[in-house]
Parts: sequence; C-alpha cells; structure tokens
Amino acid sequence: MKRMWRRPSPALLCLLPGLALVPVLWVVGSGLHTGGLESWGLFLSAAWRPSTDPFLLQSLGQGLQVTLATALIGWGLSTLLGLLVGIVSSDVLWWSHRLPTWPAACLRKLLALPRAIHELLWGLLLLQVMGLHPWVAVAAITIPYSALVGRVIRDQLDSLDRRPLTALLMGGSSAPAALLTSLGAPLQPIITSYGGYRLECALRSATLLGVFGLGGIGTELQLTLQSLRFNEFWTGLWLLIVLSVGLEQVLALWRRQQHHRHSPWGGVMGISLIVLACLIGGLWLNRLVGDSGMPLQWMLPPWPDISAIQAAGQELPWLTLLQQTLELTLCAAGIAIALPPLCLLLMPGEPAKRLLLTAWTLIRLLPPPLTLLMLLLTNVPSLALAALALGLQNAGVMGRLLIEALDQQSRQPQKAIEATGAGARQVWLMGALSPQSRSYLAYGAYRTDVILRETIVVGLVGGTGLGWMLIESLSSFHWAAVVLLIACFALLTLVGEAISDGLRQHWLQTPGEASTT
Amino acid sequence: MITLLALDNVGLTGRDGPRLVDVSIRLHAGERVALLGPSGAGKSSLLAVANGTITGMSGQVSWRGKPLTQRSKRERCSIGTLWQDLHLVEELTVAQNINCGALGRRSLLWAMANLLVDVDQAACLRCLQQAGLTQEFLDRSVSGLSGGQRQRVALARMFRQQPELVLADEPLSSLDPALVEELLTTLLRRSPNSPADTLPSCTVICLHRPDLIHRFDRVLGLRQGRLVLDAPATEVTQDHLNELYQRRSVPPPPRSVR
Repeated sequence: MKRMWRRPSPALLCLLPGLALVPVLWVVGSGLHTGGLESWGLFLSAAWRPSTDPFLLQSLGQGLQVTLATALIGWGLSTLLGLLVGIVSSDVLWWSHRLPTWPAACLRKLLALPRAIHELLWGLLLLQVMGLHPWVAVAAITIPYSALVGRVIRDQLDSLDRRPLTALLMGGSSAPAALLTSLGAPLQPIITSYGGYRLECALRSATLLGVFGLGGIGTELQLTLQSLRFNEFWTGLWLLIVLSVGLEQVLALWRRQQHHRHSPWGGVMGISLIVLACLIGGLWLNRLVGDSGMPLQWMLPPWPDISAIQAAGQELPWLTLLQQTLELTLCAAGIAIALPPLCLLLMPGEPAKRLLLTAWTLIRLLPPPLTLLMLLLTNVPSLALAALALGLQNAGVMGRLLIEALDQQSRQPQKAIEATGAGARQVWLMGALSPQSRSYLAYGAYRTDVILRETIVVGLVGGTGLGWMLIESLSSFHWAAVVLLIACFALLTLVGEAISDGLRQHWLQTPGEASTT
Repeated sequence: MITLLALDNVGLTGRDGPRLVDVSIRLHAGERVALLGPSGAGKSSLLAVANGTITGMSGQVSWRGKPLTQRSKRERCSIGTLWQDLHLVEELTVAQNINCGALGRRSLLWAMANLLVDVDQAACLRCLQQAGLTQEFLDRSVSGLSGGQRQRVALARMFRQQPELVLADEPLSSLDPALVEELLTTLLRRSPNSPADTLPSCTVICLHRPDLIHRFDRVLGLRQGRLVLDAPATEVTQDHLNELYQRRSVPPPPRSVR
C-alpha cells in the first residue's frame, strides 16, 4: 500500500523545532506587564547615550582587562592540557604502539565527568574551596575546557585517515615519528580553527563567570544592570562588543592566512602562541588583581555522610527538577535551532542577512543571565523566559555558523532552482538550506548538548531546574544535596551527550546511508 | 638462492569467509614476480599478510628465516609496499613524503625536522628522478598532483626506504598504457650501474594484466584464496591463465611447476 506521508526532509526538520516558540511566546506574552515598558524604553535609548564618565571608563577598562586575561590563561592552559589528554586518550596512539586500546577508553570515560559539569558550576564549587581569588575563574574555565578540547582532539585523531600511518609503520618507522608525520599535518588546521573558536568561548565564559561575582567585566555589567544604570551598562556592553568583534576578526584573519598558506611552522607557531598567551595572561592578571583577591586557600567542604545524602535524596523534588531541566533544554534548543533558518527564510535577501548577522553577534555576546535580567524588566520569571534567554544566545551561535556555511557553499543549486521561476523563499529553502541542512542539524544536536549544560546558567536566575536547586543548596551549605545534584546533573549531561552523539552521527551520514539505518 | 620471505600454510578468514587457504610461497632474492588472480581472489590479503599489516592468521610468515613479527627495527625497512591507493600524506610536500620512506632509519628529531625544514634534499632528488619526476616537483604539495605523478611519488618514497623486497598492490590500475610501460620499467629495473642501495632485490607486483607476464621471472596465481599457479613466466600458457580466471566454484589442485 502506498504510504500517505513521507519522512520530513532535513530542511524541514531545521524549521520544525521552531514550534517550541509557540508555547514559549504564549507564556512570555501572558506574563508581560506594561509597567516595565518604560524601563525598556530607557534601556534601549541608553544604547545611544552610553556613559563617558572617566572613573566608570577606568573601572570598566580594568574589568575588561581582567576578563581578557582570565580568558587568555584559561584558553591557553586548557588547549595545552586538552591536546595532551586528547592524544593520550585516542585509540590511534595506542594502536600505533601495538598496545591494547582499553586504557584510552578508560581515560575517555574519566574525562566525561569534568566535561559534564559547566564552568559556572566549577567556578561556584572552587569558590567554596579556594575562596574568592582571581585564579578561581581561570581554574573554572581550564578544567571543563581541557576535557572538551581533549575530546575534540581525540575524535579528530581517531577519524583521520589511518592509511598513511599504516604505510609509514609498515615501512619500518617508529610509532611516534609515523604519528607525527602522517597525522600531525592534517590535524594542524583543525587545531588552528578549533583553538580560535575556543578562545571566543573562553571570553564568553570569563564574562559569564564575572556575572556570578568572579570579577571582570561580567561583574560590572551585572552591577550596573541590577542598579538600573542603563547608560553605564551600555558603556560596558559596547566595550565588550568592540573587544569580542575585534577578537573575532583577528581570529578569522589568522584562520584565513593559515588556510591559504600551509606553513610547516604553523604548528610550532601555534603552540608557541598558546604558551605565550598563558604567560602574558598570567602576568597581566597578577598585575591587575594580584593584591585584590583573598589569599589563595584550600578549604575542602565537609564530606556529607551517607545518612545525610539519603535524607537529601528523599527531600529533593527530583521529578519536577528533571522535568523543568528537560523542558528548558528542549524549548531553548528548539529556539536556537529553528530561529536562524526561520529568520533567513522570512527575509532571504542579502541586506537582511547582514542585519541578522549583526543582531546575532550582539545576542551571542550577551551572557544569558543578563538577557534574562533584561527580559525580566517587562515580564515575570518563568521557565519560558529562561528558555527564551538561553535559546536566543545559542541562536546567535547557530545563526553565525549557518551564514558562514551558506556563504561557503556552491550557488549552483540556487541558480538552478531560480531558473525554474521559483520565488526567493523557495529558492533559499531548496537551493541554500537543503544542501546545508544535514550538517546544520548535526551541529544543532551538539548545541542541544551544550544547552543542557547551560540550563544551570539561566536556572539560577529563572528559579527553575536542577541548576537553581544546586545554587540554593550551595548557598545554604547543604553539601549532601550539592553532591547529589552534581551527580544527577553529570549523569543527565552524559546521557544527553550520548544521545546528541548518536544524532550527530546520523545526520552526518550520507543520505543513502541514513535511509538504511 | 637466498629466500627472503617464506609463507608456510598461511590461512586467513575474513567476515565473509576464507580469504587465504593454506598458501605456501617462497620469495627469493633477484626475482620479479607477477601475482595474478580474479577480483576477490585474495591478492591484496596475501600482500597484507606478507608485509605484516595483517596478523593473526594461521601458518607462519618468516623473513630471512625469522618470524616476521620478530624483525628488528632496521629489518622492518626491508619490505617496501606500493599501496593500491598510495597512502601519501596529502598535507605534505613531495620531498616530505619521499623522506617518509627513511623514517625507519632515522630518529624522531629527524622526523620533526622533516616537517619543518628541507632535509636530505639530495637523497630525495635521487629517488624522485629514479621514479621519473624532475626536481621542480620537490616542493609541490602532493594533493595538487595528477594520478600518475602521485604514483611516482609513492614509488620514490619506496626507493627512499631502500627495501630488499617490494610488494606492489595493483600499481598499474587506472593508468594509461604509456604510463603503465614506464612504471613497470621503473619497478622492475635491475641495472648494475644504478645505485644498488635504492633498488629492491625482489619485486612482487599484483596485476590484472596477464598480457604483461613476459616482463616477469615468475607468476603466482590465486583463486578463491588458494594458490593455484606457481610457475616460471616462460612456462605459463594460455590454458593456465584460462583456468585461473574461469569462474568455477571448486578450485583445481595447486599446480607447481618448480
């Protein structure tokens, strides 16, 4: 019997998650209060009249430097450590030495734990253990980022073509020399590109940690927004935007240069640059805040006994917390995945694309808790509002990626569809989005995994999910609940990671392969 | 006659059934051997067993009387392979790829230097010229070369390795007739005037071209994983070849003329 329906095409699947916008906007719309509209007007008008108070500029400049120095050290250390653990945890290393690969698999399992915990949570935990010190933020970035970079390096190493390696090994080469020669060169552009991306992420994380009191421009932005000093807030935000866009441009230029010029010294230069970044960042941070933090200490919190953990397990509303976290993740992921293609479909022209790119740059730079605080000016706290804030920031990341991919792909399919007399939106949907949709969905699966980790960030502000309960437990020194909640969150993110990995592999398969699975 | 490589009763089973069944072969110094057989006969598996890529099979493989797996680091360089899909490192230059052949005799530091600066250019050039390419190719990236040029780079890498035994897995497939002739001449060259250290002593070439067997000393024929022909090239008749390539479910018993 002929089937009445067919499986939705990947292009349509890019747009379908946008259905999450319906309940989110419904709840946000019904929670809107007009009393805050005046504040919003003031907020928006302040964007064009930022404060130029010299004292404020000096303070914001100092904050910006702290954030940049923190990001530089965190990025440098995590890249170096990640490179090391990535190589050691790769199967190919052990295989090339004719050793069993199970130690690599064990190491990968171990690395899943630091990766599963968001840098904000690391920051808050280390704050309890080490006190308020500038290096807490550095450590909070370094720990999860090292595991993340390690995973990417390992994935890349194990997915590279092993045939040249086999040829060299069979030719009598030693394993280290064969690995370096056959895999070093293909890995170099991947590290260059991914390393640059991680620096942008480190800057965003350093800002976010600042929002939660760990110093830098994030702290300044949080304080100005909470005290409704919008002119001062916009001064800080504009400075952050200039810094981030500048950094983005420099990294893009560097990536382009590396792409066009295959310098054999690229790898050496890259490693030297990372080491230099660590040194400069360290000295810089020490000069900026060397005497402002509490002395570095090591105070491990008391480990809760079994009875306390059991009691905490019974008193926590697990089902509600898990449900809220998953709802938050799915709604935010739906917005993040669908919003960029939806916007581009509705406005398919080149000027609109440039406009959207600018908007996404701004959204991407603003930490979600600050977006949430801005939205709270006119709305009541809710899960939907938290999902909107988180979804918008991630839509900024997805949107930029989509436009970059669209700019790089061939225009032939679009021209072919244009020639049939199709309208601009149809041309965009079939000729532009369709060829990109599988890789876009694969990245969307990865982004959903990231969003699950980030629910902790908005959960704290929005009063919802595991993240909110975790911060409540931390601030009341309820260590039994903290232990349980961290374990639960880690488990949840590991399950999420496994699902997202499966989905990503599914979408990255060729259409023929995918249909047979 | 010096025996370089000996395969004794080698059997190998893949997921889809037996790939090699009770294969015994001795390869001697100074031989030029053609390995024939229909697709799926086990030719590539035989070469992979012979160069040590595949282990875990039954039977024994030995190099100069020692088990293949117990070769010293220096002895591992003695078997060179010209892979069917070449296995070049696409991101490296021609010179760097050629130098990969020398990694077995050099240190890790030398391997790092090869990635960063020009090393042993004279040796590279000599191997490149032996393979039929000119100096101008040395600094070019292999990813920009034609199929025939890439084939020659792989050949130059193999010369740089200075192996005693060369195993070539269908090196002539997808090449035009003129290139086939040139490559075969290069691979089978035995000139006493050439630098002896870069020319292999024994060459085994896996072929799909029975018309070329007159260029070889000896012909091996595989069918359904069994060695069904092992004869001097001059004694191989059209009947032998017909028997080798005909599609029959039960293979004939091994025919050994020597």
